[in-house]
Amino acid sequence: MRFFVALTSVVAVGRLFAADNPDGVEFFEKKIRPVLAERCYGCHSATAKNLMGSLMVDSGAGLQRGGLSGQPAVTPNAPEKSLLLAAIKREGKLKMPPGPALAPEVVADFETWIKMGAPDPRAEVLPPPPYNFEEARKFWSFQPVKDATPPKVGDPRWSKTEIDRFIKAKLDEKKLAPVGLASKRALLRRATFDLTGLPPTPDETTAFLTDTSPQAFEKVVDRLLATQAYGEKWGRHWLDLVRYADTSGCNSDYPVPDAYRYRNWVIHAFNDDKPYDQFLREQIAGDLLTATGKNAMEDRNDKIIATGYLAIARRFGSRNNEFHLTIEDTIDNIGKTMLGVSVACARCHDHKFDPIPSRDYYAMYGIFQSTKYAFPGTEIYQHAKDFTPLVEGKDAARLIAYQQETSHLDDRIEDFTAGREGKDLSAADKKKEIQALKDRVVVLEKNAPQVPRAYAVSEGTPTDARVQRKGDPKVLAEDAPRGFLTILGGAKLPPEEKGSGRRELADWITAPENPLMARVMVNRIWQYHFGKGIVGTPSDFGARGDRPVNLELLDFLAARFKESGYSIKALHKRIMLTRTYQLASDANAKNAQLDPSNAYQWRFDRRRLDAEEIRDAILAVAGDLDTNTGGAHPFPPETSFKYTQHKQFFAVYDNRQRSVYLMQQRQRKQAWLDTFDGADPNAGTAKRSPGETSLQALAMLNSSFVDEQADVLGVRVGMAFSTDAERIGYAYRLAFGRAPTADEVRVCTQYMADSRSEMKNSGLAADRQPRAALASLMHVLLASDEFLFID
Amino acid sequence: MVAVPYNEGFMSCDRRQFVRSLFTGSMLFPAVLQQLFAEGGGDTLAERAPHFPAKAKRVIFMYMPGGASHVDSFDYKPKLIRAAEANEKAPNGRLFVKPPWAFKARGQCGIMASDLFPHVADSLDDICLIRSMRGDHNDHFQATLGIHTGSVTVARPSIGSWVSYGLGTVNQNLPSFVVLAPKLPYTGAQAWSSDFLPGCHSGTLVSSGPDPVPNLVRRAPTQKIEDLELGLLGRLNKKHQMSRPEDPALAARIRTFETAYGMQMQMPEVLDLSKETDATLKLYGLERGSTEGFAWQCIMARRLAERGVRFIELIDVGASDNWDAHSNIKSHEPLARNVDQPIAGLLKDLKSRGMLDDTLVVWTTEFGRSPHADGVDGRGHYNKAFSSWMAGGGVKPGIAWGQTDDFGYNVAENEVHVHDFHATILHLLGFDHTKLTFRYAGRDFRLTDVAGNVIKGVLA
Repeated sequence: MRFFVALTSVVAVGRLFAADNPDGVEFFEKKIRPVLAERCYGCHSATAKNLMGSLMVDSGAGLQRGGLSGQPAVTPNAPEKSLLLAAIKREGKLKMPPGPALAPEVVADFETWIKMGAPDPRAEVLPPPPYNFEEARKFWSFQPVKDATPPKVGDPRWSKTEIDRFIKAKLDEKKLAPVGLASKRALLRRATFDLTGLPPTPDETTAFLTDTSPQAFEKVVDRLLATQAYGEKWGRHWLDLVRYADTSGCNSDYPVPDAYRYRNWVIHAFNDDKPYDQFLREQIAGDLLTATGKNAMEDRNDKIIATGYLAIARRFGSRNNEFHLTIEDTIDNIGKTMLGVSVACARCHDHKFDPIPSRDYYAMYGIFQSTKYAFPGTEIYQHAKDFTPLVEGKDAARLIAYQQETSHLDDRIEDFTAGREGKDLSAADKKKEIQALKDRVVVLEKNAPQVPRAYAVSEGTPTDARVQRKGDPKVLAEDAPRGFLTILGGAKLPPEEKGSGRRELADWITAPENPLMARVMVNRIWQYHFGKGIVGTPSDFGARGDRPVNLELLDFLAARFKESGYSIKALHKRIMLTRTYQLASDANAKNAQLDPSNAYQWRFDRRRLDAEEIRDAILAVAGDLDTNTGGAHPFPPETSFKYTQHKQFFAVYDNRQRSVYLMQQRQRKQAWLDTFDGADPNAGTAKRSPGETSLQALAMLNSSFVDEQADVLGVRVGMAFSTDAERIGYAYRLAFGRAPTADEVRVCTQYMADSRSEMKNSGLAADRQPRAALASLMHVLLASDEFLFID
Repeated sequence: MVAVPYNEGFMSCDRRQFVRSLFTGSMLFPAVLQQLFAEGGGDTLAERAPHFPAKAKRVIFMYMPGGASHVDSFDYKPKLIRAAEANEKAPNGRLFVKPPWAFKARGQCGIMASDLFPHVADSLDDICLIRSMRGDHNDHFQATLGIHTGSVTVARPSIGSWVSYGLGTVNQNLPSFVVLAPKLPYTGAQAWSSDFLPGCHSGTLVSSGPDPVPNLVRRAPTQKIEDLELGLLGRLNKKHQMSRPEDPALAARIRTFETAYGMQMQMPEVLDLSKETDATLKLYGLERGSTEGFAWQCIMARRLAERGVRFIELIDVGASDNWDAHSNIKSHEPLARNVDQPIAGLLKDLKSRGMLDDTLVVWTTEFGRSPHADGVDGRGHYNKAFSSWMAGGGVKPGIAWGQTDDFGYNVAENEVHVHDFHATILHLLGFDHTKLTFRYAGRDFRLTDVAGNVIKGVLA
């Protein structure tokens, strides 16, 4: 869908310093404008096919802004400060225009005109964005959330909650008959994995099965929501979206030892049920918000750590000269994750499908250009800088001084190496200078302060950005005053704002009138519960995305979400207590014909465990899971970071903690997570797409991890019971949450006999054979579909 | 011998049949799933036809990390040689570097090439040389991504993944996209990642060591125990599935065990070179028993190609000690020696087996090297011009396509941008590169982004 403007709207940004100077204007019109139009506009105007030197001479504003040099082309009344004059006089390096020089009398006219104050009636006329925003706002996702009344349905007893009425009405409309309820056992397993990423323990299973009260399941949901494991599971969903990684993603993939603080902040935020709007606000502008509460320092630190969301944006290259890509990555992620809009498409051109002009992208770009991102080091500049100390006073000052000194030395070493400094030195002297600088680095590193710090952002130098033609940072066109997306209100920074504008951006995103914030998030929560969203494209609510299968339900959820003060836990409960959530995952041939993808929720979709769940469930069942909160990774000391693109950072740190605490690199994926379709640490993952591959089968069959854990599980059941039948029973209860059938006991007992007998040929010591035989059976259970799929 | 209900029929057929019978052959197996298997449902590796008939059925893609020099190998620049001999300086003030290897005309085609790659040079009659390559980035990491994925900024699916996605595989026992790389290149495994394409299209790194594919080596202490385990697993899964019919994921998972088992059985056979004749080994310059060097990689490539693998990528060295000859261009020599005879041997071997007609062999690097000095006798990165080549599979043999200016600085004629290179490779396999797309994040992505033109002049 594309909206074109019916009426030409003119954006006038120029200052008309000509208004009270009619003679000057006449002079300009007669002597200056024709020359500019004939000799300059071809390369230096809004209509230039290839804008040169980022200079636009088709308005007074453009002339005063100047081009890439950063100097004004024309400074009224100051010919000596007007680059344009120097260029047409052909005095310096820059000789303009190309071709024959301007006649001396024409050059004199320009000088006269500048001395007159450069009167110029031309306003900056920019081609209007190719959208009619009035029309564009009619698109469903930009419409305000309409709180719908749950529809009346034929069979009122079917609905447990209001959500069910929305679902049932659609099912009735589509002539789909929902399947029955899931068994209690299946429901418990579903809910436990869903909220915690772990299987229910045998005790939890027994407790639920024997609780016959009507509130039995509600109690389960409450219990699960109160676990630490809840944040570890749901925090991981968010970490998927924000492409969390423990390394920077630059050519050398620099480790970021402090990234973990943001990871833990996310997990705690979910466990604390931090209101979603506040959750977003802190990630965009936590460092600018007031610290509150009993422990203000701790709150201040938490809010700074929250901006790790921005700091973990991808880094590029071997230096730091492609920072526009890091800003693009930031805007791309904010757009997709928080708004469900692909804003970054507008980096190179006006968005082709959604009403996002390129100028809107650069309005946001200016905000991040005005922001200082902590820098983790690269091949050429190996020292970290601009990390925020998490203490005050002397220690903070020491850290700041260390960061400044080391990075300053890096700069100078590189200046010498690249020949920017020491041009008149002999090669030997240059080498000496560099060595001296390197020696100072070594001395500083010996006394590197050990001060807690955050991989976060802080305020930089506030400036508006200019639109980059075709996304090329070397081709700068008109100014793009800092602001928000036009389609979402188009707010601009108030003139009194002296900061980057992140605080305002956070407010704009979380404004109650922004319909996308709540809609996008409730859809995600629905998707994580059911396997698919009400909108099938969770990070694209634009024209190319899917339409909601049930807009009234989506809006109902968004309205309740807002009403609850954006409580995510309240939303979980609201969703999980529905009949819809509690349906069986049974097949139904007739429904499958009418709605093969189960778009209308006539059943619950079976799903495979994801990469983290498989690993964590194996550890949990074997009794080997370390449930402590993960801390920092055991990276080598930071002063030893000398990584290059030729010798990139690469490490694997194994542990027995929840998989969310595994060290994850951008450039080299963690092998287990990669094999089982884990999140991409380079790009936001809105939806895991588990595919079944033979490498997964090999990992389940032959990996040392499953091998080891099968043995641990074997020891666990072997120590607890003395007969095969009892051991098999315990293993079934642990792994599948149920007792085996008589036939299963028979088959597994037979298996034990066979494998023990075959173990005689294994070369294992006789006393190890029974253990290996038991481990072999455990291995099969862990690799089985019943363990790896949730009904 | 054990006789138990869960592995009946075990001894009566071969292992593969045995596994298949466990997983699929049973009367318990729902008919609808049999159907799905037959149609390749839930199995994105099923063989598929390209957009139009084409000669090339598979690709052997050789990539030299670090930036192999064009002006020292295949791009003869007499003016550069003379300028270097006269100690002339390049426009940027640096001295020109003289190629240390002599150039001469080769074969029937008479194409000039240096002695850096003497064997490959002697094969130029079978090769379509491209002297007018251009890329978008001058850094290793980005340019390596570029030559593999078409994108120099963020990772995208690799060309091998696109080919696998487009053509599927003809041998379910082996991955469709295999990578032989003793060391990781600059981008690590991103160079062969499927990114947003389904995971089965990722390149599988196969090494010569004891564990050629991760987790391939049987862990069970005896084969019989593994068979017992697979037998019980099949039984449990089948029972689980009986009450959950029509679930393609369950069906697909059962299939993966079959493939894994097949790979476990076939991979040792692929790696076993004992049946190769002395003459063949000699062709590649491989000593019997050796599993090292590019000679091993090249003969493995032929064996994998014979067995139906779609895309085989060979990478000779890693992210360091490679073609990145900053300080001395002569560091190319040992690297060239490692690859030269094996590459020529591969071309001859494929030709003599009649496989060169439907196998596209590609040789490339991420960028060229500067005609002027960087360091004392070395050359800097240079993406504005470099050389690559193709052979077999529908390309014109014995030609040199495109040219650079007198010093090898810029493409002077018939530029082949990396996107064009990719478009041409896809075309040779029967694809319209603008139509081999995948919808991701609201956009139809393709290997060639929004660019790329098929270079018609290189098509046979």
